[in-house]
Amino acid sequence: MANLNGRARQKNTYDAIVVGSGITGGWAAKELTQKGLKTLVLERGPMVRHLEDYPTATMDPWQAKYPQGQLPPDELNAHYAVQKRTGYTLTEYTKHFFVRDDQNPYTEESRYDWIRGYHVGGRSLTWGRQSYRHSPIDFEANARDGIGVDWPIRYEDLAPWYDHVERFIGVSGQAEGLPQLPDGQYQPPMEMNCVEKAFKAKSEVRFPERRITIGRTAHLTDPTEEQLALGRTKCQFRNMCIRGCPFGGYYSSNSGGLVAAERTGNLVIRPGSIVTSLIYDEKKGKATGVRILDATTRQEEEFYADVVFLCASAFNSAWIMMNSTSSRFPNGFGNGSDQLGRNVMDHHLGVGASGEAPEFADMYYSGRRPNGIYVPRFRNLGDAATKRSDYLRGFGYQGGASRPGWDRDLTRSGRDAAGPRGFGAARKAALSQPGPWVMGLGGFGEILPYEDNRITLNRDKTDEFGLPTLSMNVTIRENELAMRRDMQTAAAEMLEAAGFTNVRGYDGGYAPGLGIHEMGTARMGRDPKTSVLNAHNQVHECKNVYVTDGAAMTSASCVNPSLTYMALTARAADHAVKARKRGDL
Amino acid sequence: MLLSRRDAIRGLTFTFGVAATGFAGRAMAAAPALAWTPTALTPDQARLVDVVAELIIPKTDTPGAREAGVPQFVDRALADYFDKAQAERLRAGLVRMDADARAAHGDVFVALTPEQQTELLNGYDREASAVQTSGEGHFFPLLEDLVTVGYFTSEPGATVALRYDPVPGAYHGCVPLAELGRGWATR
Repeated sequence: MANLNGRARQKNTYDAIVVGSGITGGWAAKELTQKGLKTLVLERGPMVRHLEDYPTATMDPWQAKYPQGQLPPDELNAHYAVQKRTGYTLTEYTKHFFVRDDQNPYTEESRYDWIRGYHVGGRSLTWGRQSYRHSPIDFEANARDGIGVDWPIRYEDLAPWYDHVERFIGVSGQAEGLPQLPDGQYQPPMEMNCVEKAFKAKSEVRFPERRITIGRTAHLTDPTEEQLALGRTKCQFRNMCIRGCPFGGYYSSNSGGLVAAERTGNLVIRPGSIVTSLIYDEKKGKATGVRILDATTRQEEEFYADVVFLCASAFNSAWIMMNSTSSRFPNGFGNGSDQLGRNVMDHHLGVGASGEAPEFADMYYSGRRPNGIYVPRFRNLGDAATKRSDYLRGFGYQGGASRPGWDRDLTRSGRDAAGPRGFGAARKAALSQPGPWVMGLGGFGEILPYEDNRITLNRDKTDEFGLPTLSMNVTIRENELAMRRDMQTAAAEMLEAAGFTNVRGYDGGYAPGLGIHEMGTARMGRDPKTSVLNAHNQVHECKNVYVTDGAAMTSASCVNPSLTYMALTARAADHAVKARKRGDL
Repeated sequence: MLLSRRDAIRGLTFTFGVAATGFAGRAMAAAPALAWTPTALTPDQARLVDVVAELIIPKTDTPGAREAGVPQFVDRALADYFDKAQAERLRAGLVRMDADARAAHGDVFVALTPEQQTELLNGYDREASAVQTSGEGHFFPLLEDLVTVGYFTSEPGATVALRYDPVPGAYHGCVPLAELGRGWATR
C-alpha cells in the first residue's frame, strides 16, 4: 500500500474529509467549505450531477419500456431481492438510484430491509422529504424513561441549527404551536383537499388533541433569493420527485448542499472512492485521514486531513469504524464502549386505517401534491391525559385523501374478487372517471433503542471488492407491538368520528428497515463508557472524527429523521471549524 | 412530438381501413391484416390479441385499444416483461380462446361475430372471478390488466380518454369534477 511522503502526501491532503455525499455529507461539505476549509468529499458510487443525470425525470407514461415502469419480475428477483421489498421505490424510473443487492450482499440473521443508493447525493435524491423537528420531549425521553442513555444535548442546543437548515433547504409547512412538534422556518403550506379539510374539521371536534396539519416537506413554495441563486425553483407539483427534480423543487444534496459547496472553490469531490478505514496515528492520538479503495482501478489510496466527517449512512459509517481496527482500537474505531453497531432503530410503519368519504363526489383536484397530511404525536406527552399504560413513546400519522385512478380495478391492486369486473365501453367509461374518495392514515412509530438490536462485521462473507460485509440482527419488541395495536385503533376511531364509511384498520406487517430510517449505531451520549459520540458528534475517543448521520441518534423519536441529521451535521461542522482554529483537533 | 405521434396513430388507423375494405366476409372485417410485426406473438396470436384488446377497450368517443397501440404493447410485455409462468399462462389462454371458439362456433376466435366473442369473454370473466385468489391464476385478468395498463398509459389513453398534465405548476385541492371532466392519467 502506498504510504505517501512528501509531495505526493501533500497532494492528497485537505483540511477536512467528508465520507459520503448524501443528505448529511452534502451538509458537511457545504458548511465546512463555506467556513473556509479545503474539503474532500469521498463517495463510493458514481457521479450524479443535478439536472444532467436525471435520465427519467421528464418521461411521459407512454415512454416507459415496461408496463407502468414496473421492472420485470426476473430482473427484480435476480438483482433487487431486498430493494424491491418496499414495493414502491424501485421502478424503471428509479433503479439507477438504488443498489443492486446481488452486488452489495449482507447477512440477515433476522430480516432486515436495507434500502440503499450508492451514488453522489445518495438517498437525498429519493427521500420522502418530510421534515419535522424533534421536540424537547424527544431529547428528554431516554432520561425520563430510564431507557438507553440520555441525549447529551437538548432541544435548545439544536433549535438554531434547525432554523439554519430549514432556511437553506426550504420547508413548506404550517406552524401549529404544538410543544411535541416545534414549529420552524416555513414557506407557505400546501393546500389540503376537500376531504382532508372536512376530515380535519370533524375529527378535531371529537379528538381535539389529535391535531391535523398539512405535511411539512422540503419543497419550495416561495423560494428565497439564496435558493433561486443556486438554480432552484418552485415545486411544480409533478410528484415525480424520486426520479430527480429538473426544477430543483425539493431539496437534495445534488441541487443544494453540494452546489453551494462547489461555489466556494473549496470542494473536491471524488466519486468511486470506497472508504475502507480511518487512519489512526497512535502517537498523535488522532486520525490522520482515511484509506480508500478505488471502485474502478481497485487500487488503495490514502487521503489526509485535520478533521474527518463520517456521513456514510448509519450502517456504513459504523461499518467503516468496525473495519478500522488498530492496537488502540482492537474492537473497532472509538468502540471502547462496545456500543458501536448496537441500538439499531428505525420507524415502524405499515399500520393504520382507511375509509371512504361519503361526500364530495362532485369534487376533484388538480396538480399532484408531493405531500400528505400529518397528525403529530398525541400519546405519552408527559401529562396524565395522554399517558398510555401499555407502551412508552408514541407515533404520528401520515396520510391523505385522493380519488383512485384508472388502475383501481387491476388484479394486483388488491381488487376484491367479488364478481366479474366486466370489460368494454362501460368499464372504459367508468375508469376514465376518478374513483370514490378514499382516505388513509399510516402510522410512523418510535422504536426503542435495544442493545442487542445490532449489526456486526462479518469477515467471512466478503463483497466483490473483497471487503467484509454486515450481518443484521434487529427485531421489534412488545413495546412496538403494543403501540401498533393502538396505531390501528386510533386511526380507525378518527375516520369513524369524521363520518367515513367502510373504515378498515390494517396492520400489513413491518420488517426492520422498511422505514428506511436506520439509525443509532454510534450513539451520542455523555459517558464514553456507554456511548460512541459526545455532545458535538465527536468520537469520544478520537476528537477529530465526527459522525453526523443517523448513526449518532440516541433515540428515534417518531418523526422523519433527515432534518435532525442535517441540523446535527451543521452544528458539528461549526464546532469542528472553531475547534480546529483553536488548535483543539 | 405530440403531433407527429398523432399522425402516426392516424396512419395506423388508415392502414387498417384500407386492409379491411380489401376483403369481404365477417372474418376479415373483424381481423384485418396487421400493420406491425410482432416479435413474441405469432401473427395469428397478434391478430387475436388485436381483436380482444379492442373488445376490452373499444373505440367510443375516445380512441380504442387498437388505435392506442395496445396489441403492440402486449407483444412487448410478452417479449421483455413477463416471467416464464406469466408468458405461458397468457399463451395458453390464447390457445384456449381459439379452441373454445372452434368448439362453440366452429371457427377461430377472430372469425366469430362480436356478439359471440363478447359471450366467450364474459365466460372467462365470470370464471376468473370465481377463482378464490383474486383471479391471478387465470389468463383473462392477466390479459385484461395488460390491455388496461397499455391503454391508459398510451398517449391517446392518457391524453384523450384521461387528462394528463406533465407540469401542473400548482396544486388546487378542491376543484369541481365537472371542470375537469375526466380522471387524471398520473398521480
